Amino acid sequence: MANFKLDINNQSYEVEAEPQTPLLWVIRDEVGLTGTKYGCGIAQCGACTIHLNGSPVRSCSIPVSAASNQKLTTIEGLSEDNSHPVQKAWIDAQVPQCGYCQSGQIMSAAALLDKNPKPTDSDIDTAMAGNICRCGTYHRIRKAIHTASNEMTNGSK
Amino acid sequence: MEANNINRRKFMKLAGMSGAMLAIGFETFAIEGPKVLKKLMAEDFVEGTPLNPFVVIAEDGTISIMATVPELGQGIFQAIPAIIAEELEVDMDQVTVVKSSASRKYGRQSIGGSRSVRTMYQPMRKLGAATKEVLIEAASKKWGVAKSALYAKSGKVHRTDTKDFVEYKDLVATAAAIEVPKNPNLKTKKDFSIIGKETVRTDILSKVNGTADYGIDARPDGLLYATIERCPTLQGKPISYDKEAALSVQGVTDVMEVTRSVYKNKNTGIAVIAETHYAALEGRKKLNVKWDNAEFSKLNSESYFREMKELAKKDHLNHKDQGNFNQSFANAASTLDVVYEQPHQSHSCMEPMNATVHVKEDNTVEVWAPSQSPQVQRQFARQLGIPDDQAEEKIKVHLPFLGGGFGRRSMNDPLEECFQISKELRKPIKLIWTREDDTTQGPFRQATVHAMKAAFDDQDNPTGVQHKMISEAITTQFRPSNGKIPFEVMEGISTHYDFDNYSIQYGEYNSQLPIHWWRSVFGSTNGFAHEAFIDEVAVKAKQDPLQFRIDRLNSEPRQVKVLERLKKEANWDKKLGANEGKGVAIVESFGSIVAHAVFLKREGNQVIISRVVSVVDCGIVINPNQAKAQTEGNIIYGLTAAMKGAITFKDGVAEQSNFHDYAILRINEAPRDIQVYLMENDENPGGMGEPGLPPIAPALVNAVADLTGKRIRKLPFDLQKV
Ligand code: FES
Ligand code: FES
Repeated sequence: MANFKLDINNQSYEVEAEPQTPLLWVIRDEVGLTGTKYGCGIAQCGACTIHLNGSPVRSCSIPVSAASNQKLTTIEGLSEDNSHPVQKAWIDAQVPQCGYCQSGQIMSAAALLDKNPKPTDSDIDTAMAGNICRCGTYHRIRKAIHTASNEMTNGSK
Repeated sequence: MEANNINRRKFMKLAGMSGAMLAIGFETFAIEGPKVLKKLMAEDFVEGTPLNPFVVIAEDGTISIMATVPELGQGIFQAIPAIIAEELEVDMDQVTVVKSSASRKYGRQSIGGSRSVRTMYQPMRKLGAATKEVLIEAASKKWGVAKSALYAKSGKVHRTDTKDFVEYKDLVATAAAIEVPKNPNLKTKKDFSIIGKETVRTDILSKVNGTADYGIDARPDGLLYATIERCPTLQGKPISYDKEAALSVQGVTDVMEVTRSVYKNKNTGIAVIAETHYAALEGRKKLNVKWDNAEFSKLNSESYFREMKELAKKDHLNHKDQGNFNQSFANAASTLDVVYEQPHQSHSCMEPMNATVHVKEDNTVEVWAPSQSPQVQRQFARQLGIPDDQAEEKIKVHLPFLGGGFGRRSMNDPLEECFQISKELRKPIKLIWTREDDTTQGPFRQATVHAMKAAFDDQDNPTGVQHKMISEAITTQFRPSNGKIPFEVMEGISTHYDFDNYSIQYGEYNSQLPIHWWRSVFGSTNGFAHEAFIDEVAVKAKQDPLQFRIDRLNSEPRQVKVLERLKKEANWDKKLGANEGKGVAIVESFGSIVAHAVFLKREGNQVIISRVVSVVDCGIVINPNQAKAQTEGNIIYGLTAAMKGAITFKDGVAEQSNFHDYAILRINEAPRDIQVYLMENDENPGGMGEPGLPPIAPALVNAVADLTGKRIRKLPFDLQKV
């Protein structure tokens, strides 16, 4: 066991964990931010996607020891009030069904738009192909990303 | 705990800001006293006077409607309250939707068979209407005017003669004492202001900010984590395992045997319990279990299919026997005689199987049940010696949101396992199945073989068709079929084409491989074989496959209307380019009719699904946007089964374990253009959770045949290799 300092959503947390523990379980079970989900544990589904220094990463496949003193953002830290353009577009298109994959989808989409505010359909394919949705909401995800992109590039609606 | 508290406050704030509807989850409502954290059921916070178990009106005007049916993505969290609100004459933005617990006072809370709206539509309308009538009667008493001079709207009772009105909240005390009418008047469809409108789903907000509470998110105080090593061949007994080695892992607290029931089979696994999920997994790795699995290890997919195909050569029980098929086949000028096959599938809900149970020292229990069948109180009570009539008082069951169900969560094996552990340790236990457990352990969707034959005259007109379906059955795993066709196995063979000689048969294949309800169940497999083969018949008859169906479905006027609409919306008759193909299929299942048209395009060396157009007849629709969402989801789920994964067995072991070898369709492979059209009519509501699935695979392979001339009769197939 060792102590780690985690900077999540601009708050700092001290946690005690085995260094090899996947960051995902530390975020969920020790810190208590359960919006980040477990889906596969092997970087195949994207349910556990968070931002590490602004880039999307699979928290199931990063040991907690590698996350110390890095800037982490989870779904809970995306906005205070559901006001991130991606969240708004998601509500607008009524994207979620069961919703379980959606934290990861939203984090991947937010990271995409951050780097590429006007993604083409094939940019979306590339950025979002790591996120599985078993309920099959892909069609609405694509639509919502375009909506968010429009809002971000044309100023707020 | 810190973050959780922040979250909770934040969530309350957000919910307040939304100004509309509030989805209440268990994490939201922990109360902190001095050093105590007590989780209460959402219902415990609903203030006001209950007019029935579902509707509570508070003095401050808050109208709470219980969402009592597990929400797994189908939108029922919104749909049932919307039905009640419609007849109660309240607007959705006046309503707080409250997630209920499991309780018999809400009636049956199990979901499956796309049944919820179908079975609850009338009862919930009556409940809403009866509640409204007692409020009107209370107003009539208050003013001393006849009920006929009053009407209700937007949470108020109005007088027709004056402009006076009174709010429901001021009537509720009187209304609560009035006897509820059994047969209240219901609104007519033209007066609906909620049903049939695209209302916003109340659970969506919590699903874009991480606050939605799934079973896997339950975090009672003092929680321990469990994982279970199970026999890789599904059935088997542990001969030995290294308990000490597992216990030597830091954080591991206990190791014990647990039993899992899968229908009649009881399977023993070894549970490792620890302070963290990670420690439990590490301990599990050290168990080194030796299994006795002699019998089940003989099971192989190869022999499974070989034996089913052998069976298909014989005659079986008749589901339909019109004319004389054998004669038509013997006298035919030409024939088709082909076999279709489909493999086992895993449900692979995005949220892996899990359960959280706390059996306390005082023999009371708290359960977080990510289940499609959550009323487990009596089952658990009996194992604790609690009499039935105290079961609900002593055993509280939370209904979390479900991260998918697809039929899998109608089996409560994870709850059963978790209960055993907690009962033994008297501590709160969260059991999480790994994705590998989830993929390999079943129960699975059935695998099937379909022997399809058609007879033609010398003009290539079809004179007879036969569909022989061979598979395991689900219900015969727990009760004998007594020589009858089990009810579930013929779902989706529902297009009653006018063939003079028409034979449909079912032959049961017996195996120990556990199978279970999987989204659209036999509709998924029957619909594929039946509608793909009908296409073969139509093409051999040199007819347009869509027109062929319209011409031959005289006994099914609703299906014909759906096809005619599809023809128009898909622009079916438009000539396609040389690199394009189209396919159609129609299936009626679970009370609804769905037809899909699939369009393919060859672009370079890629084949893409350029467009899917769907027409749905599900009778009266509660929320059109959600009916469409379910259809889109069914298209993706069905395309995944058609083109991606299969579960195959070698020496009793599933050969796939996680999403790297059991692939799910991804966004880059999904159709970019999906259009769903809903028929407008006054028919009773049909199901929506499943009927969109069966026709997608056949429409796809029919499009492949149109594009390439090649018939796909075995799923899954690789679209890039056609
Ligand atoms: S849980 Fe991390 S990618 Fe699936
Ligand atoms: S919404 Fe259910 S898995 Fe994506």
